Amino acid sequence: MKGRWSGPLLLGVPTAFLLALFVLPLVSMVVLSFWRTENYHIVQDWNLGNYLTLATEGAYVTFLVRSLVMASLVSVICVVIAWPVSYAIILYGGRYRLLFTLAFAVPFLTGEVLRVIALQGLLGPLGLINGVLMALGAAPLRFIMYTNVASAIGLVYLYLPIVVTVIYLSLLNFDARLIDAAKIFGASPARAFFEITWPLNLFGTLIGFALCFIPCLSATLAPRFLGGPNGTLYGMAMAQQFGESGTWALGAAMGVVLFLTSILAVLAVCLKVDLRRTGFTGFGRG
Amino acid sequence: MARRLTRFLSKYALLATLAISYLFLYLPIVHIGLGAFAKNHAFPYPPRWTLDTFGRLFANSLYQNAFANSLILGVGAGALSTLLAAAATLGLMRHAGRRTGLYLVLFVAPLFVAEVLLGIASLIFNGLFLELQGNLVSAILANAVHCFSYALLIMATQLYRYDWRLDDAAMVFGASPTRTFFEVTLPLIWPGLLGAFIVTFIMAFNNLEISFYLLGATPTLPSVAWGALRYGVKPELYALATAVNLVVVVGLAVMFVLMLTGKVAFGHRPERERAV
Repeated sequence: MKGRWSGPLLLGVPTAFLLALFVLPLVSMVVLSFWRTENYHIVQDWNLGNYLTLATEGAYVTFLVRSLVMASLVSVICVVIAWPVSYAIILYGGRYRLLFTLAFAVPFLTGEVLRVIALQGLLGPLGLINGVLMALGAAPLRFIMYTNVASAIGLVYLYLPIVVTVIYLSLLNFDARLIDAAKIFGASPARAFFEITWPLNLFGTLIGFALCFIPCLSATLAPRFLGGPNGTLYGMAMAQQFGESGTWALGAAMGVVLFLTSILAVLAVCLKVDLRRTGFTGFGRG
Repeated sequence: MARRLTRFLSKYALLATLAISYLFLYLPIVHIGLGAFAKNHAFPYPPRWTLDTFGRLFANSLYQNAFANSLILGVGAGALSTLLAAAATLGLMRHAGRRTGLYLVLFVAPLFVAEVLLGIASLIFNGLFLELQGNLVSAILANAVHCFSYALLIMATQLYRYDWRLDDAAMVFGASPTRTFFEVTLPLIWPGLLGAFIVTFIMAFNNLEISFYLLGATPTLPSVAWGALRYGVKPELYALATAVNLVVVVGLAVMFVLMLTGKVAFGHRPERERAV
């Protein structure tokens, strides 16, 4: 493929595709957020009213804070679980490593609705945990039925696989001879881990964190079906603007807020980290 | 001695975490799987086996219709995103030059935008600015955006070590660029294409958060399941989830067997066999 046109064609077509179907929609969302909705009709009248509503009305601020806390907590839990899991796969997986990783991908690929159904089977009033408790004659656990705890468990369940996959890939590309070198020079295993393995896989870990944080921040399904009356999250409230209440302009403004918040969170984390020291080698063209 | 003990303990702590994670992930799936095959579906311990639920599921014309639509959506979005991602990966590796970083940022950006935002933004763009009604085509296009980045990453890990000297060699011996592509490049990269297609197909097939806003009145399996879920969990939903889980397991198992027997190598790197 060394023809004169192949370069511009190979890069140009995907670029045009993304500009038309990814960038333009996001821009139109920003534009709409500065308009108004009146009786289910869009009024093209530039104003900041939507953002004012979002900033002053207590409910929306609560939803946003709750979403941020929930997303941070869930992402941290996911990373804390995913590290030992992927480390164990790398260390003890042997030739079945790939099978172990694929086993994590199976639930991830079955789609959120079906997994929320599975979670209801686990956590719901008639679900597995409470079923076992009642069969044993104990009282059902109240805190896992339609509460924020249930939402958090659900979100960990939904996004743990992707964090494991990302950290696993990072560890797979990590050159283990560096650890051997450190040990030969007398480092203890703990020191070798904290001075070599962890910093060199930090970039992968951060990617995993971001890929969990962003969807959690705008989660719609898990809080709706697992969270209770106090479980409304920002993404769920946003989805309602496009459904039941029909206030598209306000929903678009909420979308912009979510978009900016997630970008800012990712940037804040990335700026703290010197990419060159984290094993990030760019897009290799070896 | 103490050192050996710590090593022993850390090994079993790691393995225990692994086992507990699998348990956490698969317990609900197995539970609803049993529920789908049992008459006492809410608490199938011990199960009283039946296939009635599946019978009702497969006989329901709503689900049949939704299944066909989901299939079209999955194949369309999977094929489109795989083709585009293949072009993008080849372009990035061969032709991007100093602008690689810029293109790469654009190409993986969809990963960092939540699905529901993509769905809503596309709904606004289509509905308000293009005045198009939602249908299967708009859903395929929007899903392809999201799948594109995943396909790109899968293929990039595949082609990372592709030896471009093979192409150069073919051309030195007089092959045209087209012939080089079809006789050298394609045979070597097709496992990556296939892997990307399988994954993106499954993702688009099961997607709700993007498709929901773009489908208009077209039912797909996830949207029908979502609609039913609002009225409480029914055994049909257990059966549906179990059926999809089985298909995904079989798909990935086929991929795994192919890899194990060495028929195809999805990103397999023999020289990196030993890590950590």
